[in-house]
Amino acid sequence: MPRLMDMGLDRLRGMILDMAQLSNSTVTTAIDAYEQGKDVRAKIFDWSEELRILQDEVSELAVELIARYQPVATDLRFIKSCMEVAYGFSRFGRYAHDIADVLGMFGDISGCDKSPIHKAGDQAKSMISLSIKAFTERSVELASKLNDMDDIVDNIYTDFVKKSAQNPGGDLKCTVSATLILRYLERIADHATYVGDSVLYIVTGERAARK
Amino acid sequence: MTVELLIEKLKPENEKRVEPASQGEPMGPFKIRAEKLNAWFGQNHVLKDISIGFRENEVTAIIGPSGCGKSTLIRCLNRMHELVPGARTSGSVFLDGAEIYSKHVDAVQVRRTVGMVFQKPNPFPTMSVYDNVAAGLKLNGMRNQRKLDEAVLNSLKKAALWDEVKDDLDKSGVSLSGGQQQRLCIARALAVEPKVILMDEPCSALDPIATAKIEELIASLKEQYTVVIVTHNMQQAARVSDRTAFLYLGQVIEYGETTHLFENPAQELTERYVTGKFG
Repeated sequence: MPRLMDMGLDRLRGMILDMAQLSNSTVTTAIDAYEQGKDVRAKIFDWSEELRILQDEVSELAVELIARYQPVATDLRFIKSCMEVAYGFSRFGRYAHDIADVLGMFGDISGCDKSPIHKAGDQAKSMISLSIKAFTERSVELASKLNDMDDIVDNIYTDFVKKSAQNPGGDLKCTVSATLILRYLERIADHATYVGDSVLYIVTGERAARK
Repeated sequence: MTVELLIEKLKPENEKRVEPASQGEPMGPFKIRAEKLNAWFGQNHVLKDISIGFRENEVTAIIGPSGCGKSTLIRCLNRMHELVPGARTSGSVFLDGAEIYSKHVDAVQVRRTVGMVFQKPNPFPTMSVYDNVAAGLKLNGMRNQRKLDEAVLNSLKKAALWDEVKDDLDKSGVSLSGGQQQRLCIARALAVEPKVILMDEPCSALDPIATAKIEELIASLKEQYTVVIVTHNMQQAARVSDRTAFLYLGQVIEYGETTHLFENPAQELTERYVTGKFG
């Protein structure tokens, strides 16, 4: 017989999955729009606001479940992780919004080399998809792949910054805009890794060491 | 011979630290500890080879479904189990390293040293508040009125009841509220200067306010005593105890730090029980 709390946990799971889909679309749309030179700021702003509101709703439901049922063990770990994951997804929205803002800030940047952003963007998108899959399937194995993927994004970002510092003669607009976007992608990758950490915590109770 | 002297006399010379049987289980030395303890009610084998230790200045909660042997376990820790017709035990219980089931040990003395508080408050119905607390001391032969007064005052203060009853010491014990009666029973147990206090679902008959007072009291009692509490209320176990043991079908399934046991139990059976999936 299902427990009373199970209905609340199912609802929480559903909200997280809604957030997962929306945050995935938000980041993907922002990265693709940058590469195509499209202005999607209004749409991304609306979606990131929606993610923020969903995060508040997840927190409210989580607190209600704790107050009503005093969950323990896996239930407690799941609820705590949902709050963390919801925060991660809302950060995806915020960084997507920041990425979309770059075009508005710098105007036409079609002449800039976008290959580092293309590489990091693809990796970040894959990480978001993988973190969502790991969370949905509660798969520690999938979650464990996120750390290595995060290293790749980190390296693209730091390499770009180092190269820019070593060759200061390049186009400043291209350098600054790419640095900002790579920094946002690097943060997105971090949050995808944290989602993976939450999967590990839900399943095993172990806390992953933060880099 | 006092029970302290007996304990000293019976203490094995080489009582050493007892290593934990599993990860998370407390390390000795223990104030009181059962070793290969078995208990029966007639043919019904209730406790099966239980080895478990309880540390001084800690509160240990025992949880588990009805009939798992929680109450029987604590009743074996002060030799109350043997008072039930047809009940028997095997194995050992050591208090400060001395075997309480040794033939040299007086069971009545053991029950004073290892006090018990029951589910339902049970003050002596014909006695005043004062006499309820003083009864054990008088039984022990204390006649000096000044010393009796002092012991009653201290015990009622320790039980967080003094302020509420100091002007009503002559009133009947049963005239108090349920929560006050339970604290009176705790004061009665404390008066005879126990080393260990066992509590068998001490709040199950109390309202939330009285329960909160008893829980606060339990937290303060651990500064001086070893406290073992049986409870069906897992939130209560989580609130008041330092360590928790989960019993199932007469065996200790898991024993460890309370926070760990409730956040990340090591055993699937514990997980299922604490999350309410069975029991």
